[in-house]
Amino acid sequence: MQEEKTNDRRNFLKTIALGSAAVAGAGAGMFSAPGDRPIAVGMPRARAEGTRYKTAFIQWQPHTVPAAWSKGIEEVLGPQQIVDYELLDGQNKVEVQVSLVETLISQGASVIFLQPIDSVALAPSIAKAKRAGISVITLNIDATEPHASHVEMNHYYGAMDIAKAMGDAMGGKGKVAILNAPPGIIIRDQRTNGFVDGLKKHHPDIQVVADQVADWDRKKAQDVLNTILAANPDLGGVYGVNDSMALGAVDVAKEKGLLGKIAIFGNDGETAALESIEAGELTGTQYTDVYQQGRLAAAAATVLATGGVEAGAFAQQSRLLMPYVIATKANVGSIQPSQRW
Amino acid sequence: MRSASAALALFFAATILLFSLSAPRFASASTVENLMSGFSFVAILAMGQAFPILVRGIDLSIGAIVGLVGMIVFDLSLILHVPGYLILPLALFAGALAGALNGVLVVHLRLQPFIATLATLAAYRGLTYAISGRQLVPGLTTTPIRDPWLTGIETYFDVGRWLGLSRLVNMPWVPLSFVIMLAVFAVLQVLLTSTRFGRDIYATGGNHEAARLAGIRVNGVIITAYALAGLCAAIAALIMVARFTTATEALGAGMELTAIAAAVIGGVSLAGGVGAMFGPALGAFLLGAILIGLTLQGVPQFVQQIITGAILLAAVGYDRLLSVRRQRRLSAPSTAAT
Repeated sequence: MQEEKTNDRRNFLKTIALGSAAVAGAGAGMFSAPGDRPIAVGMPRARAEGTRYKTAFIQWQPHTVPAAWSKGIEEVLGPQQIVDYELLDGQNKVEVQVSLVETLISQGASVIFLQPIDSVALAPSIAKAKRAGISVITLNIDATEPHASHVEMNHYYGAMDIAKAMGDAMGGKGKVAILNAPPGIIIRDQRTNGFVDGLKKHHPDIQVVADQVADWDRKKAQDVLNTILAANPDLGGVYGVNDSMALGAVDVAKEKGLLGKIAIFGNDGETAALESIEAGELTGTQYTDVYQQGRLAAAAATVLATGGVEAGAFAQQSRLLMPYVIATKANVGSIQPSQRW
Repeated sequence: MRSASAALALFFAATILLFSLSAPRFASASTVENLMSGFSFVAILAMGQAFPILVRGIDLSIGAIVGLVGMIVFDLSLILHVPGYLILPLALFAGALAGALNGVLVVHLRLQPFIATLATLAAYRGLTYAISGRQLVPGLTTTPIRDPWLTGIETYFDVGRWLGLSRLVNMPWVPLSFVIMLAVFAVLQVLLTSTRFGRDIYATGGNHEAARLAGIRVNGVIITAYALAGLCAAIAALIMVARFTTATEALGAGMELTAIAAAVIGGVSLAGGVGAMFGPALGAFLLGAILIGLTLQGVPQFVQQIITGAILLAAVGYDRLLSVRRQRRLSAPSTAAT
């Protein structure tokens, strides 16, 4: 048992290390853009002594994930003392996000971190920022306009692994339901397609009997799952496209005495989900170190802001997929308190 | 100019001055440009909202109409490949129709405007989800609208260069949406002050019964007022779709409240019968200037919302004060005569 635990921890650390290598790779790619225009790297911008670089993160709306990114970003930018950073709220409205981007442009920001509400709607603003020489780094949700960098949780492959783990827990057969996000967002498609493809690949005998929208929300997920269970009392698994919805499914399973009979998986890996796994309620989730995701984005931002790299200098957008683990009761203990968000 | 409009213009000027002195980079061409491009559609919504309020009603559904019209444009363009020059009139018609339906509910079912438009808010938003091309055809989620008739609305004019002013100062480029806003303002203001319909609006808002007795077709006036609000929502939707190159199901959510706030700040009395177009339009830009200014100052957004609320309260209080004075003035000569 002890042996197994250390093994898991080693695996976990290995994935993290691999992640760092990926970062290095992405970093290298970032500055070797095979464009036709020469890029001056390391030439500091002609700024007066004591100039501070302005950066800001425009989040979608308050949630555990952007809060943890912001903390990770601050950890990296704060100690540098030449970078100002602030967190701005998009209030779940594209027009607010667009207006905030434009305000940051006129403010002369160096780098904008952005979690776009919509991949298309924010694209014109990103183009505008680029024309003003401002680098944009998107988090989790990519935009259709190419920009400096995109740092995302590994939605597609992570969801494939969730499907494999869930199928294993269900013995390779049965019916599953998906508690989904509202359509119109790329990560919904990635997390759903990955799961469905994963089932096809690893457990072709498992059938998806329901795929319903529960608005990312725990309470809504309870209502939706109750309806699904009425039609499919023999449900063997539930996949919540985020942890909030998976925890809503746990609430229902608890109430109906179905804990242990239904395999419930989430996605994200927030603290509440990890604690639920430790309590033997949630079966598992895809865990990403979101603090680290913020730190990596901030590291790239520092280079972009101070390194004299023009926003328009990228022939190709760099793309970083975060390392992850499928956290279950067997390995959840290896996720350190400092990595929990 | 009514004293309320004068007070608003003064307050607007003071706000601009204050931010110019205190907020870094507020007094810049790009801020003016952002204000024009980011709040012209809010001003159009606020002017539209003024009509139901002028006839003692309110329209809570205009944000939902924005979403519905946006999605109709999305579907027509990306799924049915209808050319943009046909989509523009269809979108305006759809908005006016949705607005007129509000008016019909208020007039013929005798529903409270608040309840009627709360119901259509839910219905129009639901309909938006039902017809969403993003759900019917998943690949469209990442497909921008490229029809030049639609995206052309997001155009900027280098007015400073035309006027030869760019050599002297850094002039903002003027977005087409701002020009559209000015045109809407001019048309609606003329409609209100120089036509029979305008006089009927004020009469109906002042006193329904008296207006009816004076031979005004009150029902028709009220339905038209709501239709105008819907039409303005459609214009705003077109501007937003051009700006974002797409429509989302949630487009315009909550904007009815911003529009109502701008209208009330702009001196449109919730008691009906008092107000014009200048106030709501300026009210929208005032809210915009405050949001941009406070963001530039680094004031957290929840504080911005508190300040917006406080300004709204002050505006309502000022409106109340003016209407009390008005009543006193009206009653003064009659008491002197007796």
